Amino acid sequence: MLSEVRFEGVHKIFGTETAVEDLNLRVNAGEFLVLVGPSGCGKTTTLRMLAGLERPSYGRILIGDKLVNNVSPRFRDVAMVFQSYALYPHMNVYDNLAFGMRARGAAGSVIAQRVKETAEVLGLAQLMKRRPSELSGGQRQRVALGRALIRQPQVFLMDEPLSNLDAGLRVQMRAELSRLHERFRVTTLYVTHDQVEAMTMGDRIAVMNSGRLQQVDAPETLYDNPANIFVAGFIGSPRMNFVRGSLTTTRGVAAVEFLGVTTPLSSRAKLTAEAADGAVTVGLRPEDLMWRRAAPPESTLTLSAEVDVVEPMGHEAYVTAVCAGETVTSRFPPRSGVRTRDRIELALNPARLHLFDARSGNTILQRPVAGGAELPRSVGEARVDESEEGRSERQREPHTRSAQSRAEEIS
Amino acid sequence: MSAVEARRAGAEKLIVVPYSRVSPAAVATNMILILLGSFFLLPMLWMVFASVDSNPDWAIKLPTPTLANFTDVLGRADAISSFRSSLILAGTTTVVTTVLAVLAAYPLSRMHIPFKRAFMLAILFASGLPVSMLIVPVYQMYVYFGWLDSLYTTALFLAASSLPFAIWLMKNFIDAVPAELEQAAAIDGASTARILRELVLPLTLPGIAVTAIYTFINAWGAFIIPFVLTYSPDNQPGPVEIYNFMGSHGLFKFGDLAVFSLLFSVPVIVLYLFMSRYFSGAFNFGGAVK
Repeated sequence: MLSEVRFEGVHKIFGTETAVEDLNLRVNAGEFLVLVGPSGCGKTTTLRMLAGLERPSYGRILIGDKLVNNVSPRFRDVAMVFQSYALYPHMNVYDNLAFGMRARGAAGSVIAQRVKETAEVLGLAQLMKRRPSELSGGQRQRVALGRALIRQPQVFLMDEPLSNLDAGLRVQMRAELSRLHERFRVTTLYVTHDQVEAMTMGDRIAVMNSGRLQQVDAPETLYDNPANIFVAGFIGSPRMNFVRGSLTTTRGVAAVEFLGVTTPLSSRAKLTAEAADGAVTVGLRPEDLMWRRAAPPESTLTLSAEVDVVEPMGHEAYVTAVCAGETVTSRFPPRSGVRTRDRIELALNPARLHLFDARSGNTILQRPVAGGAELPRSVGEARVDESEEGRSERQREPHTRSAQSRAEEIS
Repeated sequence: MSAVEARRAGAEKLIVVPYSRVSPAAVATNMILILLGSFFLLPMLWMVFASVDSNPDWAIKLPTPTLANFTDVLGRADAISSFRSSLILAGTTTVVTTVLAVLAAYPLSRMHIPFKRAFMLAILFASGLPVSMLIVPVYQMYVYFGWLDSLYTTALFLAASSLPFAIWLMKNFIDAVPAELEQAAAIDGASTARILRELVLPLTLPGIAVTAIYTFINAWGAFIIPFVLTYSPDNQPGPVEIYNFMGSHGLFKFGDLAVFSLLFSVPVIVLYLFMSRYFSGAFNFGGAVK
């Protein structure tokens, strides 16, 4: 059964600390939504509220059409994979898997059948008699997953399930989780602090910071059109470069000056209503800031810089350079031969600039969505700021207007 | 020159300082430990020797072997009845204490309770109070209720006095069970009763065993409380009986005393061995979390 999940105006306050503030989020039926953010941003609290382990201070949480604020965890029909796995240490794999079904009073033959199926899906069939202490990290992870899968719940909740695995296993399990979701299509809320997991696994990504939802969008949209400086800096590795700039408009043509160069803004990008002449923050992704010699023709801007650090990664190299007094990181081809203190020229495509309001940090430049006509897989529901929302909505692409009308349907 | 000084003096020349050098401090420490140990071991040695000696006295000496002392003690009705009394007293105390300690410790470990910290500190303080301080008012209370000279009512007071420490001990064992296990079970659909029965109790079984054994050993050796609160010969537990051996019987029967003491120690030794298995980590939460 596919159910959507909605958070409507949810707050969670612990004593004097506000862990989650005015959360409005909808996880569509069958969707894999990744909730990502730094430690302490409120993402785990959000997940625990949905599981019923914490009670929201204000607001409504709905699973399907059912208000679950006061429903205890055991009646919510959700399954959760804990970061620590939380396997029952005194039970073997079989009993760990069967526990939930027994608790719900399923018949013994049904349980045996389902345990068998689940174990086969996850490759646990040989381990049924083992206790958790006799399993490897990856095997424990799969048992924890199996314990959730076997129940066929309405919603899956996953709290950093891969963070205790070593790097190789993590990549493997990431793919396995995606495959499982393709197969069963259960509505999933997945919490992580790892942006790579978020980008690779999520149908959509919800970014949180200090208890507030920053943006919800498909991975590519989030990457190409971050709503504010926080999202821009959090998604993408190496991090986006932020430099001081200033915006000027002469005879209706906007131009931005930064790192000692001035460029008119691309006609395809639109400034938002918040944009005003004066100080702005310019965002440059390292892959957009290239070595002149390796740059494509559309990188028309040239910047002069002095190399500070070169970090070879094998297939590429990250070069940190000082340019007009600011430190920027750029992505170089491997074996460029560039060394510390070299004078180099960097190239930049002006269409790839990001602009943010210097004070609020909100984006003031709406860029065309990557791939042109292709619409994002789902709609954005982020609230940057209550007062900004009406204005910025108008500036967005047509598909976000439907988000507005859908939001009205909800309320 | 110490190792650190050596390193400071010059890194090129490494001076190895042997670990096991016999220092005067080490000799003194060991002497003191041997002395303290002998205070404990010599009486036990006497107990073992005297129990099989046909003519024992104060001294520790190699025995002239006999089993007469054993047959003598095992034939004495008062010795047998004191074992029975001790079993009833320690058994009742253990059951009451353990059940109450588990019931008290679980919410103290898991729930948000106002003034919990103050309450736990009060418990810790109470567990340190010497019982003999309270014995006169307790005696008066028992007289008032007409509870004197009953093993079961005496066990009640023993349970009350051992409860604070048992709660403290039990709470620590329950604390060690990750709360996430219970949360996982709740999300899995288990009721509170099922969580307690299938998760908390099995996982704290070592803790329950340790608490029970600890309480039993203490109650088994309790002297002052049963000495004051019971008086008929049938209700005298072991420690009081030993005291009777020494005092009021006039003449010391060293052999009987030694045998009785030896037999009386056996349950404690057995339980201690059992408990030490749990303490040495025969059971842990391996694989539960992380």
